[in-house]
Amino acid sequence: MQTFQQDCVELAWQQHRRGRLSRRQLLAGLAALGATTFTGGEAAAQAARELVMVNWGGLANEGFGRNYGAPFSADHPGVRVVQDSTGPSAGRIRSMVESGRTTWDLCDSSASSSIVLGRANLAQKIDYSIVNRADVIGPGFALEWGAAPYSFSSVLVYDSAKFPTPPQNWADFWDLRRFPGTRLLRKDALAVLEAAQMSLGRAPASLYPLDLAACLKRVSDIRRNSVYWANGSESEQFLRTGEAVMGQIWHTRATVLEKESNGRFKFIWNQGLLQAGIMVIPRGNPGGELAQRLLASMLAKPEPQVQLLGLLGNGPTNPKAAALVPEHLKRFNPTEPANAASQVVVNGAWWGDNYQNANAELMDVISG
Amino acid sequence: MRRDLGWWALLLPAFLLMTVLYVAPILQVLAISVTEPTLGAQNYNRLLTNAGVQRVVWTTLRIGLLTTALALLLGYALAYVIALARPAAQRWWLLGVLLPLWISVLVRAFAWVTLLRRQGLLNQGLQATGLIDAPLPLVWNEFGVVVGMVHYMVPYAVLPMLASMREIDPRLLAAARGLGASRGTVFGRVFLPLSLPGVVAAAVLVFIFSLGFYITPAILGGGKTLMAAEWIKLQILDLVRWGMGAMLATVLVAAILATLAVFSRVVDLRRLFGARA
Repeated sequence: MQTFQQDCVELAWQQHRRGRLSRRQLLAGLAALGATTFTGGEAAAQAARELVMVNWGGLANEGFGRNYGAPFSADHPGVRVVQDSTGPSAGRIRSMVESGRTTWDLCDSSASSSIVLGRANLAQKIDYSIVNRADVIGPGFALEWGAAPYSFSSVLVYDSAKFPTPPQNWADFWDLRRFPGTRLLRKDALAVLEAAQMSLGRAPASLYPLDLAACLKRVSDIRRNSVYWANGSESEQFLRTGEAVMGQIWHTRATVLEKESNGRFKFIWNQGLLQAGIMVIPRGNPGGELAQRLLASMLAKPEPQVQLLGLLGNGPTNPKAAALVPEHLKRFNPTEPANAASQVVVNGAWWGDNYQNANAELMDVISG
Repeated sequence: MRRDLGWWALLLPAFLLMTVLYVAPILQVLAISVTEPTLGAQNYNRLLTNAGVQRVVWTTLRIGLLTTALALLLGYALAYVIALARPAAQRWWLLGVLLPLWISVLVRAFAWVTLLRRQGLLNQGLQATGLIDAPLPLVWNEFGVVVGMVHYMVPYAVLPMLASMREIDPRLLAAARGLGASRGTVFGRVFLPLSLPGVVAAAVLVFIFSLGFYITPAILGGGKTLMAAEWIKLQILDLVRWGMGAMLATVLVAAILATLAVFSRVVDLRRLFGARA
């Protein structure tokens, strides 16, 4: 069957033969239609010498370059690690891989996305003969299609000026009588549903599998008294401006709030949702195996991870890092042993199976 | 006839360019709605069976219609005042209408947040005057979204209506008055009917625009107002359910084309999109 593009080409030729289109116009038209051959693959030519790491922008661009890229280049002379802050959402990775011209080597993703991508054959399996599983603090940080050189957490933050007795856990978060005021949650099922499940009294140790229906009902209970954030700066603003008095936000934003408000906004690690900052390698990445080596180097070096903690607040995942964290950063480090003990590690495998469905359901509940 | 064909041939490169760079890719994307996850109409079945999708469609329609109604009401009053003002004053009025068009939609959404939030200017002002005890919920809900969208759409409502009002022969109004009609009758029986083509044109334009709003509801809705555009983005970028995203995109395009088809019988579309002054 003829495609529409093929017909356009045919039409242009027909017009040319009938003298209604000059030769030059014809060629320009054909080129625009992609009917002439182009030479492609400039990315492939440079592949061996350059690795492209993709992040979500902001300070990460500089921080990742200095603490992940530079140490790797020092070990591998001639290899440059460049940063790209496009924001490697699962959808963008998919469209790149399916277009057949992958230009990214290592993407800052998430546990659930890595599983969605991996199952769709859009991400490469991590080669654990190159990457060392012993370089991370737990199994949740070294997954089939991704591994985590950093960690972060979704924690309970509150305005201490509003509450003389501080909230202790997610049950308090849901208690609008004892702690009146607007709640703030992320517009995303991951971590929100865990909090809901814990507020229902489920022990953190046996959190999974989540009771989806009960958790969604729980979110719907506070819907009228809550607002939802989509990006980190927004989550900070909601609290700063008093629109919300208690929220579940990323520990990095909670840290900034606590420091900049001189302790008016406080956050607790108890029942925080510890997450792995999973990096994935898109299928057909130009750098090939070198990307696995870059990831291995990022996991293996504790010092740069501690540097990143100071710069961005990202928690280290290397087991040797905790001992290197300076005293003043310990309070804000999600993987500090004392802090990690009171949190729950988000189960990436469960989310890999349930993320798409649970998220659609959550959207339905909060837009209800 | 022969010469006409020559003119059409001149248009051909531009037409081809548009087809290749614009129409063909769009069709390719829309086609995903029937090819993913498997070939068939399963994504469209969801439109009939899935309450979540239905809610998004209904929210989009409801907010679109509400925005259109309010923008028309405000826009009509503005256009009326401008049409009847002295030429010198008209220029200032028009500048006032057009000025917001040059300000980024993002900036305007954040400006409304500053005005409408709990500790915003409006709530603080009302509390200071003692009119209210507790802050009113003016934003992070559909009210806030509609305020932001109406503000964005009013200039688009004013311009077609103003163009239509300017074509009304003022002597008709004078004649009606001379024949003994009251001001109200002149407006209701002469001015309003003559300005109706402009009203319909403005309604079509504003409604179509409203269906595709993304930033304003995302910022002013507090995460609780999910309209079609944001839902599509969620499916495509985050959930990687391209079939579902493309399905709603197709529905949106179809709805817009249907609206245009229906109203093209009533109003001159070429004038609506500025092809004829």
